[in-house]
Amino acid sequence: MRILTLLLATFRELFSKATLYILLGISTIVLLGTLLAFSSDLTDDGIILKVFGVPVSPPTQAAEIEPMVYGMQAGLAKGLFLGIMLFGVFATASVIPDALEKGTVDLYLSKPLARWELLLGKYVGSVAVIGLATAYFIGGVWLTFGARVGVWNVQFLLSAVTMTFMFGAIFSIVLLLGVVFRNAAVPIIGCFLYLMVIDNLLENRQTVLYLISESSLYRALCDAFYYLLPQIAGMQRQLENQIMQRTVEWRSFIQPLLSSALMFGAASLILERKDL
Amino acid sequence: MHAITAESLTKVYRDFVNRKLSVVALKDISLEVEQGQIFGLLGPNGAGKTTFIKILLGLVRPTAGRAMMLGVPLPSVGIRERIGYLPENHRYPGYLTAVQVMRFFGGLSKMKRAEILPRSASLLSLVGLDQWKEMKVKRYSKGMMQRLGLAQALINDPDLLFLDEPTDGVDPLGRKEIRDILMRLRNEGKTIFLNSHLLSEVELICDRVAILDKGKLLTVGTVAEMTVSDTNYEIGVVEPPPESFHHEAAATVLKFRVDKNILSADVRDVAALNHLIDLLRKHGVSITHVVKKRSTLEDSFLRLLNQEVGA
Repeated sequence: MRILTLLLATFRELFSKATLYILLGISTIVLLGTLLAFSSDLTDDGIILKVFGVPVSPPTQAAEIEPMVYGMQAGLAKGLFLGIMLFGVFATASVIPDALEKGTVDLYLSKPLARWELLLGKYVGSVAVIGLATAYFIGGVWLTFGARVGVWNVQFLLSAVTMTFMFGAIFSIVLLLGVVFRNAAVPIIGCFLYLMVIDNLLENRQTVLYLISESSLYRALCDAFYYLLPQIAGMQRQLENQIMQRTVEWRSFIQPLLSSALMFGAASLILERKDL
Repeated sequence: MHAITAESLTKVYRDFVNRKLSVVALKDISLEVEQGQIFGLLGPNGAGKTTFIKILLGLVRPTAGRAMMLGVPLPSVGIRERIGYLPENHRYPGYLTAVQVMRFFGGLSKMKRAEILPRSASLLSLVGLDQWKEMKVKRYSKGMMQRLGLAQALINDPDLLFLDEPTDGVDPLGRKEIRDILMRLRNEGKTIFLNSHLLSEVELICDRVAILDKGKLLTVGTVAEMTVSDTNYEIGVVEPPPESFHHEAAATVLKFRVDKNILSADVRDVAALNHLIDLLRKHGVSITHVVKKRSTLEDSFLRLLNQEVGA
């Protein structure tokens, strides 16, 4: 009940801010663009796929056109994934520092609410809001492709759940940095750096980072960070596999799940020991 | 069972880089608050009043000592179901209305929705926010925020209420209304722990008072005990004493003033008082009464703080 109360309060909090509406606005513009861009013509020889009215495929049978559409959806999801994640972090980074501000945290914790419950409520609320925004966008694209091209890729629709899970993994970093630094700037900068640089560097540590030093301690540290932080790049590959209806290695989601739990545990422990 | 028991509570805010910057916020505080009382904790800024409350609420970890609230050893999350708290400088989400604030904190207090709605309505009416309850709180004045804060603190019908500067920013009429609410709550058997700078207000409603300075507990007692003076007396006389008495008395008492038939005297001790009475009799002045005078709580507070500075 208390977690639900916090979840709903986080919904209200995020929907009271302009950033979320900007995210929804951008999503709507992209949806309308997709709606205008993609269409298909049914001819005697097969279906012709068009982008902005220009045929991009010869007349093709329905079964053959599906992989092409999956590829387009995967490309769209890959291109917009980073945007959704970064905007999501930007929209939600203030949730934790705002909750921990003096005068606010006193009110929360004067109620029968443990500190970890406060974090959990805010975590679930933030992830749920971004999940809804993602579902709106992905659902819209799915409907567009279904209505305009006639391909109803359920896996693309389900990728909204996968993306929400991925945002949950990223938000665990926001949570930890928010508890430690109690401001929104450090989590935003930290997550942007992580998503755009660090995650890829750690993924390719053996070919990039190992070149910097041969020290075993340094390399062990690189490995430690790789295994401790949520591996986003690995999940991104699986996201593509999912949309393309290829085999998905669900094991790739176990590490981020454990890593998120670790981040949440660390944030709870740090908050538990803080004087507020 | 006491509402609050604190045993040797100590809090040091350590600075691990520069130890000289470590602050001792509370030093060995032992205190008991009876149930059904309004207890006032007084002290200048930085005395440790808020730290004391925050330790009880589990917001700050004590360096040493232990405490209990309503018989439950602290820290305890569960006991907060029976606690209400109005912090100083509280902040409510500006995008919520008063009704939404009440629902939110009612939900966090483990209350059922069916309980929250009527209780919110009656509390908002009690604190005079009935006609503003659907307005976003970002448009509220400081006084309205305090009223909302009080209503929020009462949402779960707490047995023990902590109020940190509850009348801060409230107009005199509003202060009177809040005092009346607090006295009504005491009559219902609730315990109220009050932090306030407004000593005149504390004097009006508190049953017991403690004075804290630089983390040290200077004194605890009833307002009557705090304000009674052992050196200040009022002597009723039938007629004003002659001029010759004034010369002799000046050497005996620290300070005295004659106002018609009342002689106010500040004496060193009881022997000096008796000597003064002898002098009056010697000058043929008839005495109607001798009573100890009460000082204001503010006088007592300042005297104690000055003694502490002197020590």
